[in-house]
Amino acid sequence: MKTLAVFSAVLSLLATASASSESKTNLPSTFKPPQVFKNANLVHVVSVEKNFVKENINVLIENIDKEAQNEYYLPFTGDLMSRVGGFEVKDRKDAALGPFTVEAAEFDPESANSSSQNSDIQYFRIRLPTPLKPGAQQTLGITYYVLKAYSPLPVSIAQDEQQYLTYSFSAYVPSVYTTSKQKTEVKFPSSVIPDYTKLPGSGDVKEFPQKQGSKLTYGPFDEKPAGAAEPVEVRFEFTKPINHVSELERDIEVSHWGGNVAFEERYTLYHRGANLSNLFNRVKWAQQQYYNPVSYALKELKFPLRVGSADAYFTDVIGNVSTSKFRSNKREALLEIKPRYPLFGGWKYPFTIGWNSDAKNFLRKVSGSSYVLNVPFLEGPKQAEGFEYENVVLRVVLPEGAENVKYLTTIPTSSITEAKVEIHKTFLDTIGRTTLVIKARNLVDDFRDRELIVSYDYSLMASLRKPVIIFTSVLAVFAAAWVIGGVEMKFSKN
Amino acid sequence: MSATSSSSFDLLASGGRGKSSRTLLRVVILLFIAGAAIASRLFSVIRFESIIHEFDPWFNFRATKYLVSHGFYNFWDWFDDRTWHPLGRVTGGTLYPGLMVTSGVIYHALRALTIPVDIRNICVLLAPACSGLTAFATYLLTNEMTTNASAGLLAAAFMGIAPGYISRSVAGSYDNEAISIFLLVLTFYLWIKALKLGSMLWGALCALSYGYMVASWGGYAFITCLLPLHAFVLVCMGRYSTRLYVSYTSWYVLGTLASMQIPFVGFLPVKTSEHMPALGIFGFLQLLAFLDYVRSALPSGRQFQIFLWSIAGSVFLIGLLGLVVITSAGIIAPWGGRFYSLWDTAYAKIHIPIIASVSEHQPTAWPAFFFDLNMLIWLFPAGVYLCFQELADEHVFIVVYAVLGTYFAGVMVRLMLTLTPIVCVAAAMAVSQMLNNYLSLKSPKPEDHAVVEGADVTATKKKGGLKSTNKPVVGIYSLLSKGVVVTSMTIYLLLFVLHCTWVTSNAYSSPSVVLASRMPDGSQHIIDDYREAYQWLRQNTKDDAKIMSWWDYGYQIGGMADRPTLVDNNTWNNTHIATVGKAMSSREEVSYPIMRQHEVDYVLIVFGGLLGYSGDDINKFLWMVRIAEGIWPDEIRERDYFTPRGEYRVDAEASQTMKDSLMYKMSYYNYNALFPPGQAQDRVRGAKLPEVGPTLNTLEEAFTSENWIIRIYKVKDLDNFDRDHASAAAFDRGHKKKRGGKKRGPRVLRVE
Repeated sequence: MKTLAVFSAVLSLLATASASSESKTNLPSTFKPPQVFKNANLVHVVSVEKNFVKENINVLIENIDKEAQNEYYLPFTGDLMSRVGGFEVKDRKDAALGPFTVEAAEFDPESANSSSQNSDIQYFRIRLPTPLKPGAQQTLGITYYVLKAYSPLPVSIAQDEQQYLTYSFSAYVPSVYTTSKQKTEVKFPSSVIPDYTKLPGSGDVKEFPQKQGSKLTYGPFDEKPAGAAEPVEVRFEFTKPINHVSELERDIEVSHWGGNVAFEERYTLYHRGANLSNLFNRVKWAQQQYYNPVSYALKELKFPLRVGSADAYFTDVIGNVSTSKFRSNKREALLEIKPRYPLFGGWKYPFTIGWNSDAKNFLRKVSGSSYVLNVPFLEGPKQAEGFEYENVVLRVVLPEGAENVKYLTTIPTSSITEAKVEIHKTFLDTIGRTTLVIKARNLVDDFRDRELIVSYDYSLMASLRKPVIIFTSVLAVFAAAWVIGGVEMKFSKN
Repeated sequence: MSATSSSSFDLLASGGRGKSSRTLLRVVILLFIAGAAIASRLFSVIRFESIIHEFDPWFNFRATKYLVSHGFYNFWDWFDDRTWHPLGRVTGGTLYPGLMVTSGVIYHALRALTIPVDIRNICVLLAPACSGLTAFATYLLTNEMTTNASAGLLAAAFMGIAPGYISRSVAGSYDNEAISIFLLVLTFYLWIKALKLGSMLWGALCALSYGYMVASWGGYAFITCLLPLHAFVLVCMGRYSTRLYVSYTSWYVLGTLASMQIPFVGFLPVKTSEHMPALGIFGFLQLLAFLDYVRSALPSGRQFQIFLWSIAGSVFLIGLLGLVVITSAGIIAPWGGRFYSLWDTAYAKIHIPIIASVSEHQPTAWPAFFFDLNMLIWLFPAGVYLCFQELADEHVFIVVYAVLGTYFAGVMVRLMLTLTPIVCVAAAMAVSQMLNNYLSLKSPKPEDHAVVEGADVTATKKKGGLKSTNKPVVGIYSLLSKGVVVTSMTIYLLLFVLHCTWVTSNAYSSPSVVLASRMPDGSQHIIDDYREAYQWLRQNTKDDAKIMSWWDYGYQIGGMADRPTLVDNNTWNNTHIATVGKAMSSREEVSYPIMRQHEVDYVLIVFGGLLGYSGDDINKFLWMVRIAEGIWPDEIRERDYFTPRGEYRVDAEASQTMKDSLMYKMSYYNYNALFPPGQAQDRVRGAKLPEVGPTLNTLEEAFTSENWIIRIYKVKDLDNFDRDHASAAAFDRGHKKKRGGKKRGPRVLRVE
């Protein structure tokens, strides 16, 4: 358990939500990244084990300029840029440095159109915490995720067939710098990889890639100039569903009087895998369930919630869904839900889940009238095949009258698109509740454990507002009834 | 519980001396009654969830959502193109808006009070909330009948928990009846009040309540017929008075004007036969008032006699002639089909199968009376008898209502609802009369007869009393007889509460959208096939995919699946329903063009064969056949669907027409594959199905719910190679066979 000291230390780090925290800058159309670095050695790991792609670039960079430099650029195509998320950079040698500042540096849409050459390339700008001296080297560990990465091939399959996906990428890491030596490893969920692009080998290897079990290795390659690309495509078996949440709305409502934190999450869930070539056949499904339960259809979702969660519910637009199980005890709180129907490729299932938890699990009083709330940023399902979120809207509804709201999150800042404080009016509110709204995009379930820390002030006067108002209004009703009751309505007394 | 608490009311009341303490006690008791009424309707919410029940409420719910999101005027002008495809429905002009507007007002009022309650919860809980008000209105009505306060409280308690009313007002039963029964009782109370006082104000209030009732439920015709009948009976009894004139005239004029504001009613009050009695009595009363005036003006009785006969004769003749002429000219619509079926229960079955196909339009079976009203049904005549003893104007009302209500309740199950209030009132009068006599602690002694008589006179003055209590008192002397009667009455009342709770819990609290069953270990298992399929339709078909289903499911598809339907429970267009019936009951070759012409994308059927769910489409199938036969007697014949021996079968013995019908094929398509060869069984009809299942050429299975209750088929598009579907499907099957697919029996060459 964290102590007060830690909290007060953390508090000083909190960003005020009102301040614009957009991690995006616009570049002039004439911009070209300065050739100040060289990639001395690079290992690119592409992991397609889950239904999103996790890419890991470990690169040894070297400053070849005459001055110290601190801005390293990584290029992406415009289409890819919109699907990349969770971009994090660390020093491989020195973990204590923490994640580096990363921001998307994009061309103005208008100016990008006018300049023909660089129109489709956008950059991530990595700021090194200390500028790298000329000739010095540093090892960067760059991690990011690509969503909506696969396309199924064949596009539609029968209910009991296996699903195959394709993924295209470049065997050479796209870079704006010269790369002396590099290697790309692709990790697959299984060793069934029917098709992959073959490249002529170099050195003692005749042909790339080399296959070892469920791993393909392209490279090592020798020196490649900046901007070199070698498109490759892999096609592999993926027997699990491709879960994609186009929109997740997550509401966290803090109640001081009730001593409760209420969570509600609304998912718009799609299956992005192969469509059914024949329509759904219940007999086949029932038999398949019995004989061969492995299927690319999504049958069940498991939400491991924080210990102490209670009153879980699972509904959709037409009411409660009875096929859910909730187990809550001292060690775990597991919510298992089954959609109303098994979800096949191209199908959609929006749903809502929610639960309550004791406020003392998340809320702490720091001093006087200031409080700190520490909640998970994301608490989606934990699936073997992974879970990706395109848009996340997180709403922290604080009590009426809370002010001075600040937040800090361990989610990569480049994923957060917007953060603001709003007013949300609901039950028995007069001025409305202070609400922190954070919008993020392109997140995956690897970020389940990331925290969101919110600090705010909530005075005693503000907490007494509601009971006082209810009391006075009831009193007013009684008084009015008493006055009206005394009015003589008849014209005459009989 | 409340029934017993109010029966002991008199004991308590005698303890509370002052007027205000009595009032307080009364208010508390009424609150308890309302609480009991609401609580006993919540079984389904507690057992299942806050969900809209059955069929019609889904439409009301959908309309309410439309009202809340689009505003009142858009609702008023609502043309719904998502039902009755391709005709659409002028929904705003063909519904009773009272219910939706009430919920909308509550919704916005609560918002204004910063209590944003979900509209679904308002809709679900509207009926229980109104039942509390109904209990209160019954209390007021009964108080007008007798001065005995305990009768009113008893009637309120009875009304609160009588299953006859609960059947239509459990939580989630969001139907017009939910608020109309309250309005019905309130209108009657206001009418009695107006009649007693001869007050224009009360008459206007009565008209207002009547107008609200008209806006809420088609059953308003019951009031429109009952009030004139009451007035007519009073006049016939020689009880014409200015009180009657004032109250009836102000009710009729204002009420009719109010009712004409509803677009769905419009000019019906002056155009249809159902409304003519009210108009006739209105004219008749004018005539009587005129005659009354003339009598006071004319000097001699003989002149008046001549005047009376000539006027009365000519008016009667002119009126009758006029009515015949207008009716034959078609200005006044003749009686509707539903009306005829009130007089001849076999009428609908022969002439309008669509009315007869609804189970709630069937004649009532006699146990239903006991089931819905329990001991009230034998207390009811006693209460009516007590009314005969006194027979003031308001008691005549009870008698008239009792006779009419009993008749209607006997003809149609559904009208048990209109009988229930009067049964509660009459039974409460009987019970309170009995308890009043037997609960007084003091035994009269013969020696101080005079004293008792003196005391009794004051008692009657205070209580108003029935005739029997005005006579020199013959009290109950023996404590034993008092004890026995009071004890047995208390036991009856307790049993009544027990029965009501049991009936409500077991018979009337199932949402019917969700089915409950028991697992082997006794735990509850919910069968949620309807919503599974509706949700699938809603999420995975395109937004304007037209769904063809039997009309029963139209409202649910509109409400839950949010997809356009061909026909729904509104049943305004018999031909359209017959078209769907024909598509369901014909061969594929006939059905396919019908479905193409109506742009049908999916066909939804209900099949209970796997689970043993008896309310499925095969069991309703004969009604589809009958309704289709009504329009196409040459193409569809009910006889063809029976075996030569006249049996309705689905197994190998079924008639060829039956086996060829689309409904049969859709129900049993692919069903064999679920069983070992030759073992396929239909658990509803207890039939072993033929070894070779039906084949479908023009449809393909799109979705089947977990327990097979809902099956959805997709209508195939035209063949790419311009073959007919039968040969295309045969070709495909042939291919599969070569690759060693499933055996499908010998191939049959189809000859068109």
